[in-house]
Order: sequence, then structure tokens, then C-alpha cells
Amino acid sequence: MSVCLKLSEATIKFGGLVAVNKVSFELKQGDLFGLIGPNGAGKTTCFNIITGVYKPTSGEIEFNGKQIGGTPSNKIASLGIARTFQNIRLFKSLSVLENVVVGGFLRHKTGLFGAMAYLPAQIRETEKLRAEAMELLEIVDLADMASARSADLSYGMQRRLEIARALATQPKLLLLDEPAAGMNPQEKEELNVMVRRIRDQFQLTVLLIEHDMRFVMSLCERILVLDAGTEIASGPPDAIRNDPKVIAAYLGQPA
Amino acid sequence: MKFWLGRTGSILLAFALCAGIQLLADQQSDFVQRLIVLAGLYVTLAVSLNLINGITGQFSMGHAAFYQIGAYTAGFIAMKFYAGAKLPPELWMILSLLTGAAVASLAGLVVGLPSLRLKGDYLAIVTLGFGEIIRIIVQNQPAIGGAYGLSVAPRFEMIWLVWLLAILCIAVCRNLLKTAHGLQFLAVREDEVASSAMGVNVTRTKVTAFLLGSAFAGAAGALLAHFEGFVSPKMFTMDVSFIIVTMVVLGGTGSITGATLAAIGLFFLPEKMRDLPNFPLGNLVATGIGIIIMVVGFRHIAASFHGKIVERVMRYLAILTLAVVVALVLGPIVSKVPTLGVPVEGAKLRMVVFAVTLIVLMLLRPQGIFAHHEFSWDWLRKVLRLDGAKKVPA
Amino acid sequence: MAGLELSTLPQQLVNGILLGSIYALIALGYTMVYGVLKLINFAHGEVFMIGAYAALFASWGLGYTPNNAMSGSNPINLLIMLLASMTLCGLLGVLIERFAYRPMRNQPRIASLITAIGVSLLLQYGGQLFLPSSPAPNIDAKVNPYQDNITIPLRPVDGTLVTAAKQLEAKQLETKAAFDAYLTRTKESPFQLSVAGQPLKKAAQDAERDLRTAEGKAEASGLSIRLPKGQMIMLVTTVVLMALLNFLVMHTKPGRAMRAASHDFDAASLMGINVNSTITFTFLIGSALAGAGAMMNATFLSGTKIDTFFGMLPGVKAFVAAVLGGIGNIPGAVLGGILMGLAETLVVWAGYDSYRDAIAFIVLIIVLLFKPGGLLGSNKVEKV
Repeated sequence: MSVCLKLSEATIKFGGLVAVNKVSFELKQGDLFGLIGPNGAGKTTCFNIITGVYKPTSGEIEFNGKQIGGTPSNKIASLGIARTFQNIRLFKSLSVLENVVVGGFLRHKTGLFGAMAYLPAQIRETEKLRAEAMELLEIVDLADMASARSADLSYGMQRRLEIARALATQPKLLLLDEPAAGMNPQEKEELNVMVRRIRDQFQLTVLLIEHDMRFVMSLCERILVLDAGTEIASGPPDAIRNDPKVIAAYLGQPA
Repeated sequence: MKFWLGRTGSILLAFALCAGIQLLADQQSDFVQRLIVLAGLYVTLAVSLNLINGITGQFSMGHAAFYQIGAYTAGFIAMKFYAGAKLPPELWMILSLLTGAAVASLAGLVVGLPSLRLKGDYLAIVTLGFGEIIRIIVQNQPAIGGAYGLSVAPRFEMIWLVWLLAILCIAVCRNLLKTAHGLQFLAVREDEVASSAMGVNVTRTKVTAFLLGSAFAGAAGALLAHFEGFVSPKMFTMDVSFIIVTMVVLGGTGSITGATLAAIGLFFLPEKMRDLPNFPLGNLVATGIGIIIMVVGFRHIAASFHGKIVERVMRYLAILTLAVVVALVLGPIVSKVPTLGVPVEGAKLRMVVFAVTLIVLMLLRPQGIFAHHEFSWDWLRKVLRLDGAKKVPA
Repeated sequence: MAGLELSTLPQQLVNGILLGSIYALIALGYTMVYGVLKLINFAHGEVFMIGAYAALFASWGLGYTPNNAMSGSNPINLLIMLLASMTLCGLLGVLIERFAYRPMRNQPRIASLITAIGVSLLLQYGGQLFLPSSPAPNIDAKVNPYQDNITIPLRPVDGTLVTAAKQLEAKQLETKAAFDAYLTRTKESPFQLSVAGQPLKKAAQDAERDLRTAEGKAEASGLSIRLPKGQMIMLVTTVVLMALLNFLVMHTKPGRAMRAASHDFDAASLMGINVNSTITFTFLIGSALAGAGAMMNATFLSGTKIDTFFGMLPGVKAFVAAVLGGIGNIPGAVLGGILMGLAETLVVWAGYDSYRDAIAFIVLIIVLLFKPGGLLGSNKVEKV
């Protein structure tokens, strides 16, 4: 199986603060990989350097053989990495469907001038994008909310919408930042099933950040634990569960 | 095939409408003709600013600069090339329009650059600053008339072209929003980080918005130049930018319909106000008191009354009536006070009206009258229940 | 462009600092409000304008009206005018915050900005309706009791020129004495001299003229700065006000509240700070400072014409000063103000008079594009 994402000693410093310290890991195509750690461990910052929001201070990030450290985030998206956000960043005054269409727009082929003139090619492409968006909404079970304002959705629905939007970019690697936050156990169960389903259906690799241990352990095949920007453990769920360093990091005891 | 038929039909309709306006205008006095032209120009200005501010969310406050550049470009090329070119008026006018748009969009590119790094308040100030810099630079160029202005010959009173431009501007914005391509502008407005993460080239989107918006404003400027026969820096001060911003904000940032209607509703104010008679200051004070009553009352109702819509409207009307009555009654009384009997030039009121409009609007309905809604045939059909849907029980 | 007159540079630098101190006072208002509310108070320039009018009306109240010829003045008058400006401006600032900005606090930032623009326009154009504006009045220079200048010599005069002048002095005294003696003896009028007297008069006049020319040359060979006493008072007052402000912000409870609120609204209110009062207080102080600046500008830079648009340009320039120094940063506002004053004065000195106002915008654009945090501010990274 080919290597999808590879971080080699990725580091980022903000002034004197080292938010991510020489983190290295490898994702193979099709992996379900979890990134966990106490608050402030640098997990979202990792996402941010992978997706081009920040430029790493040092170290390398390789995606499908290509160096992507420092690449701007819209280019990263076109290369095939999509994400959701910890604090949910939906396009609030747009409808549910329109949010997803924005994601699909990445793969559009027709030009702006034609759109300004409202030519048949653009109209057709718009229809196609809307249809594809509807299909994605079906997958995340939001199809009946298609014309609702995205800001009016419940928290759990908003998280699912973000996933649909990310999928619309036709990614090969999907980064999910706390997708289960704010969901009740039932919703988490459904999310677990959904993530597996989309991984299989779209042949994705999934990297996710989560705080809910049970969710992570039941979903992810491998896990990396960060604390204060540094890796403290990695391996399959069972190894992590019993690792004293991990327990100490979460409970605050000296290692 | 059906598409092209419909498309040709709309274009012919647009031309017919403009021809109709021209015919109507020809029978009117010069004053009214000027108003009709100004209305069309302001519609283009407001809708083009709406593309930058409302749709793409970039708070640009120096729109008058593009208007000015288009106007001066037209004046300049008319001065230098018209006599030699010997083109028929319509052709020259279109050329002038395109040139004005092109040069203005170059300025739009320059003004748009800060938007790539700045947001909100800062961008507003910088765009305002650019507008002023451009005006000051133009004012100091004797070659194009300096502070005294430049006369533009020949004068073309192509009212139909003014409104054709307005319709084109509306159509372009509308088309963008009907297609997926318009969504990138909205996405950038909503959340730049998320847009970028979804593959939207935020830089290109913002620059495109500025280019388009400024191009239309420049074209409008070219038309203004040839209609008035004269351009001067005094015609493009910050006030003009503020007036256009007021129109966009009043209509509802993001709403093309709103911008159009607000432009038509407000454009005549600066002109009409020139002829107001003088009246005592006391009347003004009384009007102010009336406005305060209205704002306080409306805000109170909006915040605390939760009953049926009809009753709410009744309450609004009641407050409105109270405000009007108080203003009318207090006016003469307050004017009796010595210092407040001073006559006030009506003409000086025009910017005051815009200022008060902005403040009251923000206090009562900051999202503008139309908020982000648009007029559409679907909506009309829904309202008139022509689409066969059953009425949804309340 | 005329050649740069280096000899006038020191004087221009001083002028620049004086002008900058006014900008600093206004900039403080912008920076404090932005620090607490993250709002650019567009209407601050108009508060400055009202301050100038307040000083004007106060001066009229003290008797210094255009038709009334007053002789001399005293510092109490100035103090009264200063207090009038500061009080009225403080009140105005509080009113604007309470009725125009506070309702906007839960709205998107754009709403506050538009409201601010509306208030600014309302004050400018509304003021046109009943404030004396054309012709634009100015404060009677006589209200300033400090009319003299302090002259600071920089470069001593050329000794040889002074000696040469001194040598001519003896001749001048001699010819004058001779002419006076003649007049006394003949009792002629100096303007109706006989043929005999005229050569004496001419000799005296020539000697006098030569002396004065030589003296002038000697004086011009030295370099000195002329500081109008009134403007020195202005500078001192500005420094005092800034020191008071610093004390207020750093060492008093309301000041601490302001600093807390500027870091984090919600945390501050959770700590028991009454955020509304703190904001009101911020506007009060910021506006009062602008009022002080306005009073001093209108009084000491004599001849300053006051109309309702008086505050627009200083307002913009002071805003740029605040941004230059790092918006939200109080010492930054002072630094920025001085720099802007210097920049403007130097631009005029270099001959680009018509661009004196554009320089502010140019500085603004450069700062915002290259170091948006300003000189003393920080470049905060947005947390995603």
C-alpha cells in the first residue's frame, strides 16, 4: 500500500512557543488514523500545517510523493486534501446545499465570463454541481435540509455538513477535526459508521483529531498521541490505551 | 435552441426598455432628463459596489475614485482623439465606455490589493484613502484641468445607453449569483479560511470582484463625462462614495435588488435638496426629536413585542404617527426660541439626510431593507401563489 | 522643486514636533477606543472639531469677540477655554458611544463602522446648519497671553561679521550726532532741509543703512530657532496630559479596568469589571484629550480657521498616527503622532505642499501593507 501522507520532523514555532515539535508519522492509503492528546497539544496546529494555513518552520510534509510544506491552502485542496474545522466554519448565510457546492466548485471547468453571460455550459455545470452536492447530502443524511440556511442547523448536523462539503472537493485525504464534538452517543455511533462508509466508498485516507477516547479507539486503526507539541506514543489502540505516558499526559501525573 | 431564443428575447427586451426610456426622457425638461440619467448611473454605481461590498464582503469605501477615473479617461480621449477619429457617436460612446472601464479596473486592481491582507475597518480606511489620493493626484494635473476641471466635448445625451449599462450591470451580477461561479464570492465573504480550504482562490476572487466593480463604475463615469460635458474633482469627493455606500447598505448588502431600488430611491435626494426653501432651525430640531422618538419606539417594539404581525405593524404605525405629529407641532413652537429661529438653507441638508439615514438604518435594520434577499420570478410566483402550491398553515 | 533650504530644517523639525503633539493627543483617543472596542471611531475627528468650536465660543464668552478689541489676556482665560473644550468633547464622546455605538455591539463590525461614518457626516454637515462656518472664524490671537518668542541660538554668529558691524557703529553714531547737532543749531525740520543740511542727512542715513545691513548679515550668519512661547506652553501641556493619562492607565483602578477590557471583554466582566462604565470612561478620556488638542491647535497656532470640516484631515492623520504607532498601544499613539507631524512638516519643507495631506494616506498604506501591527504593536496571528 502506498504512502499517502508523510510528516518528517515537522515543526512550527510561534515566536518562542514551539507548537509542534519534530512530529513524524506516516499514513498509508486507506488508513483510519487518529491524532489525540490533551488540549493545546498541537493537534489542530498539525492540521493547519498540513493544509497550508501555516507554513512549517522546519521539517517536511509529503503528500503522495510531493512536498507540500508551505503550499497555500487552496492549492492543497486541489491536490486532494480536505478538512473540517474544530470550530465549524460553515458559510453561515448560504444554504446547506450551497455550502457543499462551494466544495465542488474546486473541480469546475467552465470560465467566469461564461457565468457572467449565463451561458448554457455554465448553467449545465451548475446543475451538475448541485446534483453532485445533493448526492453527498444524501450520504451524510442531510438531503431534506438542502435549502435550509446552514446557520440554522443543529450542531451535529453542522458537523455532518462540513464533512459533506469537504467530500465535495473530491479529496484523497480527509482531515476531520473533532467531528464528534457535541454529538450524543447515538450520533457518534452513526458518525463512526459514516466515516467507515465514506472511507470505503471514496477510497479515502482519513486522519482525525478527537477527544472522545471511545470513539477514537473504536474507529481508528492507528493512533498518534501528542502532548505539548511532541509525540509521546503511537501505535494501535490497545497499545495506546495502556501506555503510562499517555495516561500521565491526560491526567497530569508526572510520567 | 429554446435557450438562445429566450436569450435573444431578453436582450431585445432590454434594448426596447432602454429605447422606451429614451423616448420618454426626450419629452421631458432638461432637469428631468438629468435626473433620469443620474438614476441610471447611480444604479450602476450601487450595484457594482454591491458586488465588492455586499457579495464579496470587501468593505470598499472609495468607489467614487473609479467613477472619477472613468470620467476623466473619457474626457481625456475625447479631448485628444475624438476629432481625429471621426467615428459615429454611438460607436465612440461605446469605445469611451470600454476605455473608461478598462482604466478604472486597473485602479480597481491597485485598490483591491490591500484587500488581500486587510479586513473590515482597515480596508475601509485604506480604500477611502486611495480614493482621496486619486482625487488629489487628478486635482494636481494641469494637463487634465487640475482643480478647475476638464470640459468634455462633444456632449452626448444617450440616456438609453446609461440605462443599458445599468441593466447590463444588474444582469452580470445576477448571472454570477445564479451560477456556481458566484458562490466563490459569497464564500470569501463568509469565511476566507474555509473558502481557501475548499479550494477557492481567495486572492483571485477578491481581485476579480474589485476589477468587475470598478470597471462598471468606470463605464458609468465615462457616460457621466459625456452627458455633463464637464468633469472636475469636486464631482467625485468622498461624499459621493458615502452616498453610494448608503445606497448599498440601505438596500441590503448583498442584495442586487436592494441596491437597485435604494439607488433609485435615493439618487434624486442630492439633486432635489438643492432647491429646498429655507426654513427655521427649530423645524429641524423638531424633526430630529421626531426621528429620535421613532427610533427609540421602533427599537423598543422590535425588542419586546412578540405578538401577532398585524398588531406589531399597528404599533409601528402608531409610533410613526406620534413622531410625525410631534415634529410638525413642535416645529413652529421651537422656532420661536430666538437662536432657533435662524433660517437654515435647505440645500445644506442633503448630506445630513444621508448621515441620518445611515444612523437610523443601523439602529433599526442593519441588514438593510432587503437584507440578502433578491427579487426573482420564483419568489413572485410563490407570493402570488401562481406555482400551484398549497398555502402552508401558519 | 526648489533646493532644500537646510538652514530652515531645525525650525521645521521643531514645528513638526509641535504639530505632531496635536496629532498625538487625537491619536490617543483613537487608540484607546480601538484597544477596548476594536472599533475605529470615525467620528473622533468631528469631536476634535467641536472642541475647537467650544474653545472659540469660550473665547467669545470671555470677551474676545471679533468686534471687541481686548488688550492682553491671562492664563486663566486659557485654562477656562481648555476646560470648556475638554468637558464638551468628553460629554460628546460619551453621548456618541451611548447612543450610536453601544446598540451596535452585537452587530457585525460593519454596522458600527457605518454608524460611525453616519455620526461623522452628521456632525460635519449638521454643524454647517448652525455653526458659524463661512467665513470660517478663528480665535482672536490676543487671547493668548504668551505672545513672545523664545529664541534658541544654534549656531553662533560669524565673529568677523559682528566686528565689521561694530566698526560701522562708530561711524553711524558720529554722523547721527553731527546731523542732530545741525538740526539743533539751525532748528530746521528734517524733512525740509536746506542745501547745507542735506549732505549731513544723507551721510547719517547711509551710515545707518550700512550698519543695519551689516548687523542683519551678522545675525543671519547664525542659526537660531524661534519658539513661540504659546507653542511651548502647548507642548508642556501635552506632555502633562500624557503623563496624567499614563498614570491613569497604569496606576488607577479605572485604568486597570480599561487595560483588562482591551485584552478580553468577557474575562474582564467576569472579573467584576463593569464593562459599560469602562467603555464610557475610555470615550470620555479619549474625547477630552482630543478637545484639549483642538483648543490648543486653534489658540496657539494662531489664525487657524475653524469650520465644520476642520476635524476631518487632522482626524485622518491622527488615525494614521495611531496605526503607525500600533493601534491599541498608547505610547505608540504618541510616537506615531510625532512622526506624522514631522512627516507632514518635512513634506511641505521639501516643496511638495500640495501633497501634505496625501502623505498621511501613503504612510497608512505602507504601514498596513508591511507592518500592520505598527511600530510598537504586535502582529497577531489569527487562530484557526
